[in-house]
Amino acid sequence: MSDATILVLVSMLITGVLLGLVFALVAAGVSIMYGCIWLPNASNGQVFVLAGLLAWSLTNSLGWSVLAASLAVLAAGGVMAWMLEFTLIRRLYEAPNRNIDYFVMTLGLTQIISGVFSVTYARYNDQYELPKTIEGVTFLGPMPITNTRLFVIAVAALAIAALFAGLRYHQMGRALRAVFQNRDAAALRGVDVKSVYRFAFILGTVVTMLGGLLYAMAYSFDLTLAWTMSVTAFAIMIVGGPGSIFGALVVGLVFGLTQAGVSVVASPTMATFAYLGAMLLILLIKPSGVFNR
Amino acid sequence: MTKAHSNILGGIVCCSLVALPFALQSNKFLAFILGMVLINMIWACGMNVLYGFVGLMPLMYAGIAGIAAYGMIHLTRAEGWSFWVAMPVASLCAAIVGVLLGLPSLRLKGFYFTLCSLVIQTAMTLVFSYFPKYTNGDTGINQISPPTLNGKELNGAMFEVVLVLFALAAVGSVAFIMSRPLGKRFIAVREDEVLAEAVGIDVVRTKVLAFFLVSLYAGVGGCLYAVYVGFVSPRAFDILSSLAIWLIVAFGGRGSIAGPIVGTLVLAPLPYLLQEVPWAKDIILGVLIVGVILWFPGGIYGSLFKGRGVRAAVRKGDADRMVDQRV
Repeated sequence: MSDATILVLVSMLITGVLLGLVFALVAAGVSIMYGCIWLPNASNGQVFVLAGLLAWSLTNSLGWSVLAASLAVLAAGGVMAWMLEFTLIRRLYEAPNRNIDYFVMTLGLTQIISGVFSVTYARYNDQYELPKTIEGVTFLGPMPITNTRLFVIAVAALAIAALFAGLRYHQMGRALRAVFQNRDAAALRGVDVKSVYRFAFILGTVVTMLGGLLYAMAYSFDLTLAWTMSVTAFAIMIVGGPGSIFGALVVGLVFGLTQAGVSVVASPTMATFAYLGAMLLILLIKPSGVFNR
Repeated sequence: MTKAHSNILGGIVCCSLVALPFALQSNKFLAFILGMVLINMIWACGMNVLYGFVGLMPLMYAGIAGIAAYGMIHLTRAEGWSFWVAMPVASLCAAIVGVLLGLPSLRLKGFYFTLCSLVIQTAMTLVFSYFPKYTNGDTGINQISPPTLNGKELNGAMFEVVLVLFALAAVGSVAFIMSRPLGKRFIAVREDEVLAEAVGIDVVRTKVLAFFLVSLYAGVGGCLYAVYVGFVSPRAFDILSSLAIWLIVAFGGRGSIAGPIVGTLVLAPLPYLLQEVPWAKDIILGVLIVGVILWFPGGIYGSLFKGRGVRAAVRKGDADRMVDQRV
């Protein structure tokens, strides 16, 4: 293989891993919400883009650094999720058929958020790009990679590791997994199911926003990303199995690498077709996902 | 409402509807809104059969309408067929596609079917955009010529009268189907598939038949939309259109004949009345969706005319269906 081919391959690999980790993070957020509350959050793509847009506003208009802006956006996201939970989400906790209700409701939220985007952000710009998080370029052998992207890969990997560890060892994480498995039994064992629901919704939203921030640091983005991301996150969740962080990680990486690989030889639309096909197949063959118990 | 009341009300509505296009001729804008209301009514009737009576939420509904519309346009333009031949053929083809796309419903219920239909709808929108041979891609197809009747092009009030007749036929046919044993079988499948199977209802056949019928409504509505508006693009048949039609049914009151009519009359004109503020349409659609889910699960028709018990009943009825849905 010539040097050029190797360069293309390595750059594809890096893009794939970066995209994959971000996908996995968002899918993990969606998966936590669905596995625990039974809330398939169709508005995750809008929330994902919202995080990037807010960070863009803070850095561009107020001149904050990207890191400060990101922390502020995450905090704001937590508060927003808490308010949403308080006003809308908790009303359906008792409804037995809540997954389809929630699905439709979050499709409604998607509409509201995209309507708000179209009067606000859509008027400023088509493409949004954050300033560099960290200056400079590192060479991995012959392959240059910006420090920002290295940072994004590191943070995404750390965040997923933290989710793993938190769900496994922290008390709240264990309560969350208990509710995943059997909410009635968890309630009998003294788990406050509703506060676990609230926690899951806020955690899921914040994780999704973190994914959005990381994506915005690495790439420029536009408003149409929202819907693509929603569909991708759902596809990963369904294929990986709702509630499974490990499934989200593996399938997210596979999807990310696929997208990076396909983009080299064909249009990214082909990758989207592939996701949709994979999701349909899994829905029909094994709706509980590949990596679920 | 008693049956006699309904009949009288229905008669008045029918007569005034046929007269309405002529009354609105002085105002082209209102006449156009009337036309769109009527097309939406055809769509809502189909959606109501599937969502209200069979209990499935098909988010690929607009895509099926799109297949019929593009098929009809191809047949009339490239093959030179008359609209009146092309529309039934295209709608039949769309209905067959609809049956195929409905097959996942045999295995998937509730949310999983809806998600599946969302995937199908997204894929269809992509297909419409990226295979421009028949659809002209995102640019869309414009200057679709109106159908001819007695050698003259349909326009003005006559077009709206034709739409009125189609809409009345749609409402009437749904009412007719639901009064027949087939309608009862639909409801039985909605209430409890296992029980329906146990009392001898062929659930697979019932669902396939439902998808066939419903896709016909979608297809006829799509063809009429194309010739009435004169322009189609993938955006006309995307997920938002499916959601808007779903909202009409859910907002009006699913599972009743009058509910979707009420829903259409209230919601279908909204996008056109709000043309000056296009963003408001999205936000209002979203707020209404959230509102229907939280406060009017039985729709406004159900809440207004049948009392508050409906709300509990809708939830409870669904509860029974949900038992075997957990994965």
